[in-house]
Amino acid sequence: MAEIIIYHLYPAHLNLYGDRGNMLALCRRAEWHGIGIKVVPVQPGGSIDFANCDLLFMGGGQDSDQKLVAGDLKGRSSDLRRAVEEGMAVFAVCGSYQLLGRYYKTSRGEKIGGLEIVDLYTEAGQKRLTGNAVINCSLWEPPATLVGFENHAGRTYLGPNLQPLGEVLIGYGNNGADKTEGAVYKNVIGTYLHGSLLPKNPRLTDFLLEKALSYRNQGFKPAKLDDSLENRAHEAAIRLAGSRRHRRLSTRA
Amino acid sequence: MQNNQKQHVKPGGFHNRLFKLKLLAAIWSGKILIALTRVLGRGGTTLPGRAALRIAPRLLSSLSAPLPQGSLIVTGTNGKTTTSALITAILKNAGYRCINNQSGSNMSWGVASALLAAVSWTGHLPGNYAVMEVDEGAFPGVVSSIKPRGVVITNVFRDQLDRYGEVDHVLDAIKKGLEMQPEGCFEVINADDPSLAGIALNKAKKRWTYGLELDLPAGTFENTGRDMKTCPICTKKLNYDKIYFAHLGHYHCLSCGYRRQDPDVKLTGSTANPDGSSSVRISLPGENIAVNFHLMGTYNLYNLLAAVTCARALDISTTAMRGALEQSTPSFGRMEIFKLENKTIVMALIKNPVGANEVLRTILAQKNRINILVAINDKIADGTDVSWLWDVDFEQLVSIEDKLSGVMVSGLRAREMAVRFKYAGLDTARIGIEENTAAAIDRALEQTSEGSRLFILPTYTAMLEMRRTLNKMGLGKPYWEE
Repeated sequence: MAEIIIYHLYPAHLNLYGDRGNMLALCRRAEWHGIGIKVVPVQPGGSIDFANCDLLFMGGGQDSDQKLVAGDLKGRSSDLRRAVEEGMAVFAVCGSYQLLGRYYKTSRGEKIGGLEIVDLYTEAGQKRLTGNAVINCSLWEPPATLVGFENHAGRTYLGPNLQPLGEVLIGYGNNGADKTEGAVYKNVIGTYLHGSLLPKNPRLTDFLLEKALSYRNQGFKPAKLDDSLENRAHEAAIRLAGSRRHRRLSTRA
Repeated sequence: MQNNQKQHVKPGGFHNRLFKLKLLAAIWSGKILIALTRVLGRGGTTLPGRAALRIAPRLLSSLSAPLPQGSLIVTGTNGKTTTSALITAILKNAGYRCINNQSGSNMSWGVASALLAAVSWTGHLPGNYAVMEVDEGAFPGVVSSIKPRGVVITNVFRDQLDRYGEVDHVLDAIKKGLEMQPEGCFEVINADDPSLAGIALNKAKKRWTYGLELDLPAGTFENTGRDMKTCPICTKKLNYDKIYFAHLGHYHCLSCGYRRQDPDVKLTGSTANPDGSSSVRISLPGENIAVNFHLMGTYNLYNLLAAVTCARALDISTTAMRGALEQSTPSFGRMEIFKLENKTIVMALIKNPVGANEVLRTILAQKNRINILVAINDKIADGTDVSWLWDVDFEQLVSIEDKLSGVMVSGLRAREMAVRFKYAGLDTARIGIEENTAAAIDRALEQTSEGSRLFILPTYTAMLEMRRTLNKMGLGKPYWEE
């Protein structure tokens, strides 16, 4: 039986916006596809051997947690970078997504160094970018929608050769200006979307499982799953995000 | 010329009269709007206050200033409504008249609407106290205008991240509000919440604290909402001797020595009675009281303590406290019970992971067959970000699946909730989806067998919708008539 080992990074600290739902989606769907799954919670201060990890999940955290995590990860960034270059799958949400980049510049102008794994940087903005968001995700051909919720003060800018996760249809995305959302580098996916993202975007969940398997030369033989509930939730969330009345109620920039 | 100008700002002068006119205009518009919205079957807790505040921005301070005993404000993530209802009940039992915002409309305009509903057309406010629950974000603003004699802070958990960003920001708002309270007043704080007890008292105010001293099983819930993992003073790991739920308990920091202080008011014992109530023992400075208390759940013990401590700070007799507490029934949508022939409907508001987990804990303790209806809206008052649903430990329901006669989901986010139940591990064939809340109640009641209970778990605006439906069925009264 195919098997995936998921490293769940600092679960007690990075779990802000329903990240539990993302882990739940990965585990359940793996199980339904007949893939064995093992979750390894990684705690700050412990040792991490990325050689055993197929998929690294990094959630979002409060500012105070974020600092602790950044400090702890700094010492392991070269190991992490090596694994990423070899094709390890990474899914990073919100604060963790920012952390993958070169730096985060606070509103006071202070630059906090990132892990420098992905060519992007983030600068704090005045207003938080908050609300439902829909993007056209280019991981597939033809592109398909992803729907979630964003809530971030940082504006993230991608390097010239970095591919975004998708194009913003509704919402703000990386920086509220260039219509990009998230980033894709090798098998790393970073995004501001939570909500939780994976449960109502099952195609992305399966994509991550597939990448984690192919990294270890295991094939992905998807089972025929009944995704009607997920797809209806996906469609309903897009409708709510798009309804003008609802947007006025829920989008506060 | 100069003399004339000076006269304008004298008391009773032109500006003052103009302000009084403005105030009256605000009162009249507010009261007319309240009457109109109620004719339409709504509570009138938002619009009238908003409109009146626009006409007279100093409305809150002008209306509340003449109250002979002053104002009390209750804030915190969970327990605001129940705590303020208990305080009100105690004060009423002690012979005082209270004005409050019982419907849980707790932004500045909700407070304004409650005052407007009570004030006479000539601007006279008949009452001794105002007891208001106030949203954490609105807390500094309302404190600076009302200047409350006492404030009660219940707890701080993760809640409505779309509005406040994160828990640290909520704490900042609470600190700011506490600083705006005038000297000589009092504050009541939960000693078991390390984030609150760590707030420095930097004014000539009296601080009262309360806490549980029970041996309770910690529960098996995965508490993702436990946001205080580190010491608020030195940010090192916080250790617990006892955890009652989430991050509430007896804590100490090994690194800097910060620890839970012995509270002024303690709950030292709680034993279950056959009728479902519990006998609770409370220790106050200099005396102990025993109370027969009817509200379910550990979180209600905290609400009880908060109210008793506030009453103590106001020098209310323990006789008046006990009388009121023994009569107390669940407040608006907080495990509120409606009877329909042989069926019982229990409505329990859910709005954040910690509160929802405590509601689930009560559901899991049920002995008979039950039916569950979860109604999720994502309007501003509910929180527009529904990701918190994934932090609630709905997985626990799988263990009582054989006792569930039905599972329904409703509200604007009904489909998201259906997916939540699917990933919790519930059988998808059993999940009924009905976006319309009124139709969902009908269907859920049909599935509820005679003699069993339907638990309705709505978010705030879904609760308002569903209460209207229940009112139309002759169950309960519209909240503005209570």
